[in-house]
Amino acid sequence: MGGGCEVDQARLSQALVDAVAVGGSEAALAVCRACVEWLPMTGASITMMTVAEVQEPVCATDAVSARIDELQFGLGDGPCVESFRTGRAVLVPDIADPSETRWPVFATAAAATGARGMFVFPLQVGGARIGVLDCYRDAPGPLDDEDLTGALRTADAAVWSLLDRTHPGDGRFGPAGALDGSALVRAEVHQATGMLMAQAGLDAPSALARLRAYSFSAGRTITEVADDVVARRLRLHPDGVWSDAATGNPSYGDTPSDDPVDSPSRDDEENPS
Amino acid sequence: MSTPSAAREQALVTTFVRLADTLVADYDVIELFHGLCGDCVSLLGVDAAGLLLTDQRGNLQVVSASTEAANLVELFQLQAEEGPCLDCFRTSAQVHAGDLAADTRWPRFAALADDNGFTAVHALPMRLRGETIGALNLFHRSRTDMSVDELAIGQALADVATIAILSDRNTRERERLTEQLQAALTSRVIIEQAKGVLAERGQIPLDEAFSRLRAHARSTQQRLSDLARAVTDGSFDTAPLLR
Repeated sequence: MGGGCEVDQARLSQALVDAVAVGGSEAALAVCRACVEWLPMTGASITMMTVAEVQEPVCATDAVSARIDELQFGLGDGPCVESFRTGRAVLVPDIADPSETRWPVFATAAAATGARGMFVFPLQVGGARIGVLDCYRDAPGPLDDEDLTGALRTADAAVWSLLDRTHPGDGRFGPAGALDGSALVRAEVHQATGMLMAQAGLDAPSALARLRAYSFSAGRTITEVADDVVARRLRLHPDGVWSDAATGNPSYGDTPSDDPVDSPSRDDEENPS
Repeated sequence: MSTPSAAREQALVTTFVRLADTLVADYDVIELFHGLCGDCVSLLGVDAAGLLLTDQRGNLQVVSASTEAANLVELFQLQAEEGPCLDCFRTSAQVHAGDLAADTRWPRFAALADDNGFTAVHALPMRLRGETIGALNLFHRSRTDMSVDELAIGQALADVATIAILSDRNTRERERLTEQLQAALTSRVIIEQAKGVLAERGQIPLDEAFSRLRAHARSTQQRLSDLARAVTDGSFDTAPLLR
């Protein structure tokens, strides 16, 4: 399957890290391009969900991808709409298969686009849905294990790219490992997200974005910072200022305006003042 | 008069009848996993049990454990890199270590297990025809070689967990499996977030937050993941849970 090509997971992961590091509004498209370059996909697109649960196209690698999304959201039917609505992955080996009866309205329209396999992954932070990654290919057939692993990693990277778009930080980037999805597998990252939600009155995506921005500005991994939050050594106040319980001092923030007297590096924190 | 084995037989019957009842109803897979881990403790006399699932990105993730104590979760989680669970998952075969002190296979794992007072560990695969989707991990605080009968019961419990993931009569099995696995992992993320919210609001430990969440879900007959979702999206007033 997948054209018989082995997926180079290492190259894909590096491409995803580089794509997220692009930052801003270009990062999402870079993620989609990495997906098409390193996975057997013909095209990919990302649609964002706005606060009102309204969809907003973010980027597409080609005209067919854009058309597929447009058709689905126009008709209110199709795998992408379903994933958007349910927050679940929707994998369709062949949209043109007569036994595929889930989206009768869209299936007819899809035939004209040439897309066959359609694979949609929700982009979410726990229960908070922020969008979908929509991949298609022009040949029918299911994703094999390697394709699936790569697509899920692409979806993780897409989550970061959307968080950057909606919660822009100060443009500083930290450890490269923090740019892929790997931090999303750690329980303490999600526990810390919940604690920040309660501390600062944030929703889950905003809380995760703050955690990430802080880790970047501190030059530490997200997991390390999450450990500090869970151990109650570090907290985020409703006014957006972080404080470090160990020193009792306001810590340097993840945005320049947070703390005018922020410490330039972590070493300073450890020295008695 | 019931002998110990008759008592266990009765407990087994009760457990599997309850599991069958659950599987034909509308259940919460995380809640069911949590019950299975508890069953391992009560039926098999193990001291701790945990379920790990593949996230299909190349990692094993802890989705449920008989205790949410942070050190134990860490012990389960370490096995994403090294340990009996990972070996079990990769080889799709049971892995036994009845005496970790005499075992040289996983030095980091054995050291952390020892720190936590565990001396024996067994891992049983969650298999679905050609596919392995995770592993059930059983810990003992004394050197233990589980009997053939105990392993058979443990494997049956692992098989129930596998069936629970693939709940329904769907022909698109391969696609369905991914959809269900990812949904189960998402449920777990929401529960972790909700634990964090409650732990912070009530200034209580994370494992205590989980206990209260679960107790409230039970007493109000709602799904654990639905309640966790309501906690994280703010639609549930957490005050009653924190009194």
